[in-house]
Parts: sequence; C-alpha cells; structure tokens
Amino acid sequence: MSMPNVPKTLGVSVLMAGMAFGSAAVMAADGPLRGNIRVVIGSTSTGGDTYQNSSIVVDALSEKLDLNMKVDAVGASSAFRFLDRDSRGNTLMIFHDQSYLGYLYGVEGYDNIFEKYTIGPTVAINPGNAYLVPKDSPYENMEEVIEAVGNGEEVRVAIQPGGVSEIGFSALKNAISIEYPGMEDNLVAVNTGSQADKNQQLFDDQADLINGTVQANEQYTRLPEDDQKAMRFVWLTARQSTIEQAPEEGLGQTSREQLLQYVEPNVSVTMGDENFTFDKEFFFLYNKDMDPAIVEQIDTALSEIYAEGEIQEVQKKSFFIPNFKPSDEAAEYLENKMTVYKEIIENIQ
Amino acid sequence: MLDMLSLLDITFFLLAALGALVGIIFGAIPGMTATMAVAVCLPLTYALGLHHGLALLLGLYVGGISGGMVPAVLLNIPGTPSSITTTFDGYPMAQRGEGERALRVCVVASVVGGLISAAVLFLFAPLLAEFSIKFSYVEKFLIILLALTVIASMSRNMLVGIFSGVLGIWLSLIGTYSISDGGNGKTRLMFDFLEPYLFEGFSLLPVLIGIFGIATILLEAEAGVKSGLSDKEIKIGKGGGFSMGLFRGRLTNLVRSSFIGTFVGMLPGVGGSAASVLAYTQEKNLSRDSSEMGKGAPQGLIASESANNALTGGALIPLLSLGIPGDSTTAVLIGAFTLQGIQVGPLFIPENHDTWYVMMTALVFANIVMFFLMFYAIKHIAKVVLVPKYILYPLIVMMCVVGAYAINYGIMFDVWTLLIFGVLGYLIQKVGLEVAPLIIGFILGGQAEIYFVKSLESFGTFSIFFTKSPIAMVLWGLIAASVAFSVVMGLKSRAKRRLEAA
Repeated sequence: MSMPNVPKTLGVSVLMAGMAFGSAAVMAADGPLRGNIRVVIGSTSTGGDTYQNSSIVVDALSEKLDLNMKVDAVGASSAFRFLDRDSRGNTLMIFHDQSYLGYLYGVEGYDNIFEKYTIGPTVAINPGNAYLVPKDSPYENMEEVIEAVGNGEEVRVAIQPGGVSEIGFSALKNAISIEYPGMEDNLVAVNTGSQADKNQQLFDDQADLINGTVQANEQYTRLPEDDQKAMRFVWLTARQSTIEQAPEEGLGQTSREQLLQYVEPNVSVTMGDENFTFDKEFFFLYNKDMDPAIVEQIDTALSEIYAEGEIQEVQKKSFFIPNFKPSDEAAEYLENKMTVYKEIIENIQ
Repeated sequence: MLDMLSLLDITFFLLAALGALVGIIFGAIPGMTATMAVAVCLPLTYALGLHHGLALLLGLYVGGISGGMVPAVLLNIPGTPSSITTTFDGYPMAQRGEGERALRVCVVASVVGGLISAAVLFLFAPLLAEFSIKFSYVEKFLIILLALTVIASMSRNMLVGIFSGVLGIWLSLIGTYSISDGGNGKTRLMFDFLEPYLFEGFSLLPVLIGIFGIATILLEAEAGVKSGLSDKEIKIGKGGGFSMGLFRGRLTNLVRSSFIGTFVGMLPGVGGSAASVLAYTQEKNLSRDSSEMGKGAPQGLIASESANNALTGGALIPLLSLGIPGDSTTAVLIGAFTLQGIQVGPLFIPENHDTWYVMMTALVFANIVMFFLMFYAIKHIAKVVLVPKYILYPLIVMMCVVGAYAINYGIMFDVWTLLIFGVLGYLIQKVGLEVAPLIIGFILGGQAEIYFVKSLESFGTFSIFFTKSPIAMVLWGLIAASVAFSVVMGLKSRAKRRLEAA
C-alpha cells in the first residue's frame, strides 16, 4: 500500500500508451533489419503454444537487435498473405510443422513452403502433442488400441483435420495397415475443431481417443476416475530424447519420468523399419525476396542469444525444448522431415 | 487469505481502474473491441507480473464490453457486436432527446449484470462448468435456434422479417466452412475472382458498423442535414430524466437477463452477441407489455446491457474451471496465464487460490469503477449529439473506416465490406426489408451451420435433435413457446390494425 508504487504505475501507463498507439520507429544503427518489425504467427490464439513460444523468442531478439518487434496472432492464411506482401523484412513469420503438413494434407491456403519461402532458423520444440483416452477406457495403452482395431473393433479418434493434430492419427492408421493389413478403416477420424471440441467429444462418448496436449490436458488426467472429465495419456508423439530434455519436474504434477512412459519405445507405432515420432518444431519463415543479409543477421543474433543460455531456461520453464538450428541447417532438416511424413500420408491414401 | 491481501496493493487497483477507462474508450470507438484492447495490452503482463497484469486485463474486459453502449445509443452503431440489441431501443430514445437517460439505464443495467455474473462465478464456477459440458453440439445448436426465433417476434411484418433473417444467414455462409472447424475449406457462394477477398467471408464488425452506422448516415444525408438537436430539445443534466424509478417493475427483467448473459457466456463457442439477443427475446416474450420495445423502451436496454455485461463473469467460468475460454475476449485473456507458464484447467481454482481471489477482486472492482466513470461522464458524453451533423458524420465515417481497417490487422477489403454493407443497409430499408432480423441472421448463421453439421456428423440422425437429452427437450419447449408467442402477437397486432382501419 505504499506510495512508491504510484510512479511505477505511471510508468506502466506511459508504456501502455506506447504499446497501444505505436511507438516511434526504432532504428537499429547497424544491420539491414530496421524499423518496426511485425512477427506474424500461424495461429489466431494468444493462449496457444505458438504465441507463447514466439513471444519468448521475439522478446529476446528485440532486445538483442534493439528493435521494436511485436508478435501478431493473425492465423495461418493471413500470416502467409502478410508475408507474401512484404519483402523488406519488416514482416517475419513464426510457425510450426503445420506449415508443411497443411500442404501435404491438401488444405486450402497452404503452398509448399520450401519453394515459396525462405526457411529461417528453428527455435524450439513443443514436446506436448499427446493422445488421451477417458480414465475408465477399456484400452490401457496404445498397444491395446492397435490390437482392438486389428481385431475389427471400431475406434473413433477426435482430431482437427489437416495438420499436426492429424499426423499422429495418420501414423496410427499406417501402423495398423502394416500390422493388420486391411483393418485400418476401423480407425475412424472424428473431425472436430478446437481442444474444447475434442474434449467435449470424449465427455459425450463420441470419441474413444482424442488428440490433445500435455499443457492443456494434464489437469484432466489428475481428476478422479468417477469424474466425467477424467482422462489418461496413452501416447506422446515426441521423441524420447526430446522429453528427456524436459525439466525433471515435468509439467503440473506429472513428472518427466511419468511422461517418458508414453513415448517411443514404451509406446510403439510402427512405420515399418522404425517407430513413428513427431516433434512439433517452431521456426521462422521469410519472404523469398528478403535481403539475405537479414537472414544472416537473425541467425547471428539468435546464435548469440542461445550461446548466452538464458533463453533456454525461459523456454524450459514454459515446457518448450530449446532447439536452435541456423537457417541452412533448419531448411535441410525440415525438408527431410517433410519427406518422412509425406510417405505416411501417401501410404494411407 | 493474508497472502492474498498482500497482493492487493494500490498499483493493483490503479491498474484495474486504468483498464476500465481504456476499455471504455476502446469499446466506444466503433471497430475497436474489448478483445482488441486485451490483445494489445497482453504483452504487458510480462512486465507487470500475473496479478497486476490480470487487474489491467480484467479492467479492459469489463470496460470494453460496457463502452459499446455509447455509440449504440447515440449513433446507432454497435461499438461491439454484443451491443447490437442496445441500438434497437437506445437510438430511438436518443433521437427523442433522451440519450442521457438511455445511457444511464444502460450503465445501471451493466453494473448489475456484471456484479450478478461475478457472484455466480465466485459461488458456482466448478458446479456450472460441470453443467456446461452437458451442452454438446446438439444443445448448442438449439440455443442458437432459440436466439434466432427473436427474428419472428422482432419483425414488423413477420414474413418480411423471416425473409430478411434468412438473407442474413445466407450472407453469413459466404466464404468457407473452415477446415479448423472440421469442414472442407472450399469457398462457396461467390465468384472465383472474389476468393482472395472472401475466403473467410465478410468480417462481422465491418458488416455491423456498415449496416447500422453508414446506412444511418446515408438515410440522414438523404433527409438533408439539419442542425441536429438543440440544447432545448435534449434533456441533458440533472440526470436527463433518469431516476431509479425506471427500474421499478423491471427487476425480474434485470435479474433474468443477467442470468441469461452469464449462462450464454459459460457456453464455449456460443458467443457474446447471442447473450443480448436471447435476453432481448425473453423480455419481449415474457414481459407484460412489450409493445414499445424496438421503439425506445428502457426495458429493451435493461435486457440487452445487463446480459452483455453478465457475459464477463459467465465467460470466465469455463476458462477457470475447464481451461476453455467462453468467448473471444477470454480466449485472448488465457494468454496472460500461458505467458506466465500457468496452466488453466479443471484444477486451476483449487491449485491457485490466491490468483482466483485476486481475479474476483479485480472483476468486482472493475465493474464498480466502470459504473462511476460512466455514470458521471455520461452527461458530457451525451452531448455528442449536439455536435452539428455536418461535422459529426464525417468524423464517424472516418473512425468507422479506420476501425474497419484495423479490426483484422490491416485488411483493405474490410473497408470495402463496410461501404458495401452501408449501401446495402440503406437499400434494404428502402425496399422495405428489415435490418435487425438480417443482422441477427448474419451473426448467428455461421455458428448455426457448424453446430447443425457437427450434430449430424456425430450422431448420424435427425431425430437426435429431439431426443439427445432432457436439456434438448426443454430448449424445444422454449423454441415452440417463442414461435407461438410471435404468431399470437402478430395476429393480435394485425387484428388491431384492422380494427383501427375500420
């Protein structure tokens, strides 16, 4: 209740006015990137992982480059359009694997990012992509799900079609077609929208398995079994090595040790010669005609930021796994990744 | 508890008050919304910390929803989509020179709605969240259908009204059935060359501002610009003819509408505009005398404004007890938690007692600040109508254009939408169609489609709409009653007209 708080409040109001009405252009004295930088993201949600992760990275970058940078949650189709229009480098984009999975699934508004844009550095992984069943489900684990479908039982999976939410489903279908040829049609996709919709399908008994995330669903897994809302993890698509990098305490009250039970090799969804895994990775996308010197500048700045080591702590605190790869390396790595998933999607068509 | 009190310092209250003030300004500018205000200030939560950040954001939320009443009443432009029903009675009152009185009714109704919903949130959040998950696609579709029945009771000529409503629904279907909603993402109801512009359909806010604001200006321009209301015609100062007596006999309406607002708020994906539309319908159907509604009756304002402010508490129910935002603003608000690495889900309240109490304090305080700020500022705000129209209207058009351009972060087509619908709004009134049913059809059409299709996808049979649950049956009862009421009222007024003609 002390007075010294008042100046702080006034300071905050001034800061707020600045945020709200656009502060004067800050010019970086050196380097090709200048003016106000808008970082558009492929999600419209400010509560989601893309916004959260982009904010962490853009904050650090803005400080390093001494530039005014702001994350704008405009959604995929708008973000691509904004990026198309600006080759000066004042609009950058951050998105994740959805950007090429949308193309592989033939979603309207998605082109081949590797042809149309310049791929920038990767910055982090969200290891939380998960599949859940109701707590009182007859299926104890993924093996039982696969076996049930193989034996002719229909299993309904609630997903949001056309991307990250669907890739695990496609892999599962592919695995069933390998282990129980001809039975894969018993795995049925229930097309829904948001996480709320997917959860609701489970509560209504309209789905047997849903796609979710560790972040959004962890609290539901701690509800008592007689609660209609109670769920259980059965599969995390991340690589074991990714989850091993998570903080030991895990997320909420689910420890890393517990989470490791749900990843490969404890859970195996086969692709033939190896098991399927999927890490949701965040990376920059640039306009193709943007000055290569800017690509270089951001790569260098991020290399320095990651070398300092602070950002990793912030990312891990928010349950992201730091994963910086400079542009060239990232482009090659992501294109290879796309090839693997392309095969899966083609196999089941 | 002591821990919690130590979090409530003077900065906390100043931020909540500042939030309410800035929110009111955002809400009052056509094209700017509570959601935008919260989105713009979201990154500040980094600097402020969670609790101070929440004070600011909740202030913005409450202020933003309330501010929408100002242009709705004075200029016939809903400042936010949820204040659309406020224009129905507010603007006719303002035209009669009762703008200040209308705004005071709105402010009192708003604060009551806000506080009732905060109380419901505080006392029953987990219980109600449990109830809200009983509403599947089927029940949500029926809620929207119930709100759509307002079209029948609100029309001057029922057939024309229903036609206008269907036209509105048709307009809302232009664009795509989005893949993220489980559709096929293919464009429809347009020519190929329009695809780049209409991929996501017409944006709601430019349509609203165009069809109300720009069309009103065009109609007035046609009539010729007069000097506007003079000081003498307009009742300003000394309360503008307002007294608490206006609420006598309206308590049921006030409380009912507040509960409807809270209830719709807690259903994720049903949306804010449905709340005030539903409350308005129910007042129209249930009140003893609703013949003046739509022509400038305070009871319409009470229903609309108490319901849209009650949304705030309602929409926080699923956010804090399921981790699911109840409306578009709370969808942004959830970012304040994720940015701080705090999970919101079914265990949020039991695991974060301090934050929960802090939020409740901020919510109640913001409502009170909003009340005092607006109740005493209205005298001055209401003078807007004294500004000569040849100065006022160009300013409004400019603000509308800027707002429309900004709403989706710089899409020029939204400005065209504004102008197209401005002209369309003018033309439909000229040919005798009705604007209100059309716009309600437009607002609710998209959701009606999604929930209808998803119900069928999930359950595979039409009979599910009738047999899904007892809740569905009750909703059908309400829909039938609402339609029957409209028919009876329609027949009565026709008989009355005939009698008068004879």
